[in-house]
Amino acid sequence: MNLDWSVVWNNLPRFWDGALMTIWLSIATMVLAIPGGLILAFMRLSRMRLVAKPATAFVEFFRATPLILQIYWVYYVLPAYFDVQLSQMATAILGLVCNISSFNSETFRAGIISIRLGQWNAGRAIGMTDAQVMGRIVLPQALMRVLPALASTWVSLFKDTSLVSIISVADLSYVSLKIRTESFRIFEVLTAMAAIYWLMGYPQAKLVDWLHRRYKVAE
Amino acid sequence: MTGPEPKQRRVGGASAPILAIERITKRYGTLTALEDVSLTVNRGEVVCLIGPSGSGKSTLLRCANALETLDGGRILFEGREVHASDPKSARAVRQRMGMVFQNFELFPHLTVLRNVAIGPATVLRLDRGAAERRARALLAKVGLSDKAAAHPAALSGGQQQRVAIARALAMEPALMLFDEPTSALDPETVGEVLSVMKALADEGMTMVVVTHEMDFARRVGDWVVVFDKGRVIEEGPPKQIFETTTVARTREFLSHLGWHGESTLDTAASSSSEAAQHPIDKEEVDR
Amino acid sequence: MPSIVLWPITGSWQFLLQALWTTIVLSVLSMVLAFAIGVVVGALRTYGGRVLDLALGFYVDSMRAIPVLVVLVWTFFAFPLVIGHSLNVLTAGVIGLGVHLGAYMAETIRAGLTSVRRGQMWAALALGMSRIQAIRTIILPQALIRMLPALGSLFVFAVKDSAIASVIAVPELLRQTQVVAGNSFRPFELYTAAMLAYFLLCFPIARGVDRIYRRLAHLGSS
Repeated sequence: MNLDWSVVWNNLPRFWDGALMTIWLSIATMVLAIPGGLILAFMRLSRMRLVAKPATAFVEFFRATPLILQIYWVYYVLPAYFDVQLSQMATAILGLVCNISSFNSETFRAGIISIRLGQWNAGRAIGMTDAQVMGRIVLPQALMRVLPALASTWVSLFKDTSLVSIISVADLSYVSLKIRTESFRIFEVLTAMAAIYWLMGYPQAKLVDWLHRRYKVAE
Repeated sequence: MTGPEPKQRRVGGASAPILAIERITKRYGTLTALEDVSLTVNRGEVVCLIGPSGSGKSTLLRCANALETLDGGRILFEGREVHASDPKSARAVRQRMGMVFQNFELFPHLTVLRNVAIGPATVLRLDRGAAERRARALLAKVGLSDKAAAHPAALSGGQQQRVAIARALAMEPALMLFDEPTSALDPETVGEVLSVMKALADEGMTMVVVTHEMDFARRVGDWVVVFDKGRVIEEGPPKQIFETTTVARTREFLSHLGWHGESTLDTAASSSSEAAQHPIDKEEVDR
Repeated sequence: MPSIVLWPITGSWQFLLQALWTTIVLSVLSMVLAFAIGVVVGALRTYGGRVLDLALGFYVDSMRAIPVLVVLVWTFFAFPLVIGHSLNVLTAGVIGLGVHLGAYMAETIRAGLTSVRRGQMWAALALGMSRIQAIRTIILPQALIRMLPALGSLFVFAVKDSAIASVIAVPELLRQTQVVAGNSFRPFELYTAAMLAYFLLCFPIARGVDRIYRRLAHLGSS
C-alpha cells in the first residue's frame, strides 16, 4: 500500500472550509436549540394538557428516531407537501435544531425538577411570585446543573453535523468525501477526515469531562 | 512496644501459634494505621481486639488475610509467611481463613443458599450438589434453613450476618476473623449473632474478633488485646483487662463505654446498652 | 395539501419488511460487539492499572470525537486496504457501529463496576476467589443489573445509528426506503412510515428496560 499524502496537503484549504462549516453549523444549531429546548421544557412542565401533550409527543418523537432520517424527512417533505422552499443549509439546521432542542428539553426539564421543592417554598415565603422564583432562584441553579449535560450534547451535536453531508451541505464530511471521489486516494483522504474530526473533537471531549468534574452536584 | 508481658498460660499455648503477627507497620499515605504491632493467636483460642475507633483493629484483620500489603514486619500463618502481594499465596491464605464483615457484604444477586455455596463451588471446586449440601447444613446450624431460597434483601440485619458467618464457615477455615460483626445491627438482633459466635467458640474454632461488645469479650474471649492509635497498649486474659488493669489508657477507654469492672448477670441488657452507647463509626470500615 | 396514498408502502411491503429485519439484525449484532468490547475495556480500565486505563481511555475519548458516519465510511473503504481483504457492507456496518458504540458501552460498564461497594470485592477475595473470579461471579453481575437503564438507552442508540449505515449501502430500513421512494416518487408516505417504524422500535425498548429494571433492582443493591 503506497501512500501519497500530498492529496491532503494540497487540499488543506478545502478541508479548512469544511471544518469551518462544521463549526458554524454546530454553533448555529446550539444557539437556536437552547431557547428551543427551554420552550419545550416549559411546555412539558405546563399544567395545561393542551400545551404539555404536543410538546411531549414532539420530544419523544425526535428522540426515538434517527437524526439522519429526520434530515431526509425535512428535506424531501417540506417542499413537496408544505410548499416551503428552504436552502439545503436551512433544511439541515432546521432538522438539527428540532433534534437537539428535544434532547435539551429533557436536560432542562430534569434540571428544573431536580431543584428541591424547598427552594420554591423559600422563595415564595419571602413573597416572590412564581415567575420571580423561577427566574431568580430556580432557573440559575438549574442552569448550573445542566451545564455538564449541555456540554455533552454539544459534543454529540458536533459529530451529528456530519450527517448534513447527505443533503450536500458542504461540511467537513461532504468536502472530504468529494475529495476522495476526485482523487481516488481513499485511505489518505478518509484517514485525514477522521484525523481532523479527532483534532477538533478530542479536546472538546476532555473539556466536557472537566466540566462534569467541576460542576458535580452537591446537595 | 507491646505493653506488659503476659505471664499467664494461654489456651493452646503448648503448640506453635496458628497466627503470628511480628512487628507490622501499615501506612496509608501519611496516615499510620498500625505501628510496630505484634501479637499471636493460638489454636482454639478466641482473641478479642478492642480499642477506640480508628485504632487500627480492622486494618490488622485485613493485613492478616492478605487483603492489604504491609509496610514493615511480617505475618506468619500456619508457620508460613503471608505475602499479600503474591496473588497465589494470598489466595491460599484466604481459603484457610474465614472473614465476617461489619456490613455483612452478602452478594445481593444470589440467593442465600447460593451465597453460602459459592465459596466451595467456585474456589474449592466442589460439584454443585456437594456444595449445596454443605450450604444447607451450615444454614441449619445458624438457624436459617427456611431462608435458603430468599435473597439477602429480604432478610434482617441479624439474619444476613448469620448467613455471612455460614458463608465463611463453608470454606472450612482454620481461623475465623470477625470485623465488628455486630456494630451495624439493631440491638435486638445483636444477641442472635453473638449466640452463633459463642457456639462456634465452644466447638473449638480459633477466632479473632474485633468488637465493641465487652460482655462478649469478657465471657467468650480467652485473650484480649487493647489497641490505641495503631499500637497495642495492653494484652492479657479478660480478667486482667476488664478488672485489674493497671494501664491508664485501657481504664479510660473502658470507663468511657460505661464499663466499671462489674460482671453482669443479664447479658442481653448489658450488650444492648453497650451497643447503644457506643456510636457506630464508619472510619474504620472505609479505610 | 396533496393526498396521502398508501400504495407505495403496501406495494413494497415485503421489501421493506426485509429491510426492517436487516435493521434489527444490524442493531443487535453491533450491540453484541459493543458489549464484548465494553466489558473488556471497562473491566481493564477499572482493574488493570493506570497505564492500561490511560491507553484505553484514548480509544474511548477518540470515539467520542469521531462521528459514526466517518467511522463507518473508513471501516468500509479504508480498512480493507489495510488488511488487504474487502468487507461486505453488513460486516463493515457491524464492525464500524460496534467499535464506535463499544466506547460508550465501556464507559457505562466502568461506571457500573465502580458503583459496586468495595466490601463486595473484599468479601469475595476473603473467600479465596481470584480477582478474575470475583469480577466474573460477584462484581460484574451486580454491575450489569445496575446498568440496565443505561444499557437500554445504548440499545436505542444502536438502532438509531444503524440508519447511518445507509451511506455505505447496507440494505437496512432507511436505505431501502430511499430506494422505494426514488422509484415511486412518493417520499412523504415512505419516509413518514420509516419514522414510525423506528419510533415503534425505539420507544418501547426504553420503556421495557425501565420496567424490567424496577423488578430486578433489589438484586443489584449492595
